[in-house]
Amino acid sequence: MSEEKKRLPYDDRPWTPPEHNVTAQLGLVKFKPDGTSHLSIKDKQVCGEICRRKFCTHTCPAQVYRWEEEEQSISIAFEGCLECGTCRGGGCPYDNIEMRYPRGGFGVQYRLG
Amino acid sequence: MTLPLGDRQPAKGRFDAIVVGGGPAGLSAACTLADGGSRVCVIERGDWPGSKNMMGGLIFAQPTSKVVPEFWKRGPVERPVTRRELWITTGDAAFKGAYESTDFGVEPYNAFTVFRSRFDKWLAGEARAKGAVILTETLVEDLLWDGERVAGVRTGRSEGDLEADVVIIAEGANSFLTEKAGLCQGAESGSLALAVKEVLALPKEKIEDRFSLEDGAGAAYEIIGEITDGIPGTGFIYTNKDTVSIGVGVILKDMVNRAGAAYNLLERFKAQPQVRRLIAGASPREYTAHLIPEGGYRGMPRLYGDGVLVAGDAASMVNAVFTEGANLALLSGRIAAQTVLRASEFGTFGCETLSYYGGLLEDSLIMKDLKQYKNVMPLLSSHLHFFGLYPEIASAAVKEFLTVDSLSKADKHKLIMKLVRSQRPSRKMIKDLYEAWRAIS
Repeated sequence: MSEEKKRLPYDDRPWTPPEHNVTAQLGLVKFKPDGTSHLSIKDKQVCGEICRRKFCTHTCPAQVYRWEEEEQSISIAFEGCLECGTCRGGGCPYDNIEMRYPRGGFGVQYRLG
Repeated sequence: MTLPLGDRQPAKGRFDAIVVGGGPAGLSAACTLADGGSRVCVIERGDWPGSKNMMGGLIFAQPTSKVVPEFWKRGPVERPVTRRELWITTGDAAFKGAYESTDFGVEPYNAFTVFRSRFDKWLAGEARAKGAVILTETLVEDLLWDGERVAGVRTGRSEGDLEADVVIIAEGANSFLTEKAGLCQGAESGSLALAVKEVLALPKEKIEDRFSLEDGAGAAYEIIGEITDGIPGTGFIYTNKDTVSIGVGVILKDMVNRAGAAYNLLERFKAQPQVRRLIAGASPREYTAHLIPEGGYRGMPRLYGDGVLVAGDAASMVNAVFTEGANLALLSGRIAAQTVLRASEFGTFGCETLSYYGGLLEDSLIMKDLKQYKNVMPLLSSHLHFFGLYPEIASAAVKEFLTVDSLSKADKHKLIMKLVRSQRPSRKMIKDLYEAWRAIS
């Protein structure tokens, strides 16, 4: 691991899947997805071995991040990203998500906002 | 791949001023600069200014009309807000305070509900009409430097370097460029709030019936209490022409600590009995999410450097206590532009000349208000019971008082006092009260 990370004291319970699914809500939003992801995980070991709760799977309001039990890794549905910055601003308490904006002209397009 | 330019001018070139971000701060700066005869270019990453923007929905008439006079006659506003309510909820109950004024429904108005995506698009049109160049579908990836001085921006376009005397960063809550300019060290997550919102379609007549409104008038409700599950935050409901905006904003750090999810809180909020009947039968139109920098005065980056100024959300200019943001953004953009126009007269754009921005801000209501309330957010974050326990106690006390049964009023007083004390010791409540008073006075 690039830098030693310790489990946070409030990371005390195992991951549970989200209670509410936002798929229907995201279906109302217009997206112009780019070909490549503007989001990435910095260090997969942090997700698999340190982070117990998989915070991003709950904190991201668009449920972009999903915990894949079989692969023991986080999958990223960047196409449905609302570009709010939660994952960068503390939504991953291990600061393990690299977030950039999509290229100009791509990404979410609010009609109302 | 080449992308169409938002205006006739080429991406490559030189401007007097570059504004990064087509939101209220950036577009206000552009209007003022263009009015002052400056060659200004606004760079917006979305297809149009506003397409990436979201807010609860209130803009205040007076500060906005300083940038675009009588905007309500021409711009896409939804409803003038004539009633504001504050609710405190617990369980199935709500304690409500309301203020209503028909005065707010006529010129010069107080506040309007708007949709950012439509309003900012229109505001960009105003800026363009004044002579500003609006370059859309363009992401600013980095700053250009001339020694220690910011000398322009690097965009994602091919040959996309743009030079300018000064760059105004109005990039919003995600402070990518403010960090690159060395003006802050990443947003302090303790001061960020996450807001999620749904816009729900409801016929005009139903809105006016359910919210008890005059024809065309609007309401803005803020709701605190159990709906945020003990996390510092608020719910809100704003009426638009034929839609209702409903959302929840919570302090991100506290939500993360509790492994909470904003959309769960929104669902819970929508299910609150007093809320449920307001939105019954409404059909969802859009779901949005955005960060709000609620650090206020304490969360501010350095506001200027050599060749660079920061305005609006990027500068943490949000008064979370009064849900004001867009007005402070408009005002700060305007002040930034005035600073730049003055600097043009001197012909220097160094830190020293641009420090005028700091002085003007100090004298403006932006800094006065943000300083006044600088201790409120830290207080709320360290006193989580303000959002859980106190609404609960207040609600239980009121319920007991209003329930007519066989107890005498004197016995009820005793019962209520006992109930209150059993929840939190008196000395702690007095301390809370004192700290709350200190934080706002």
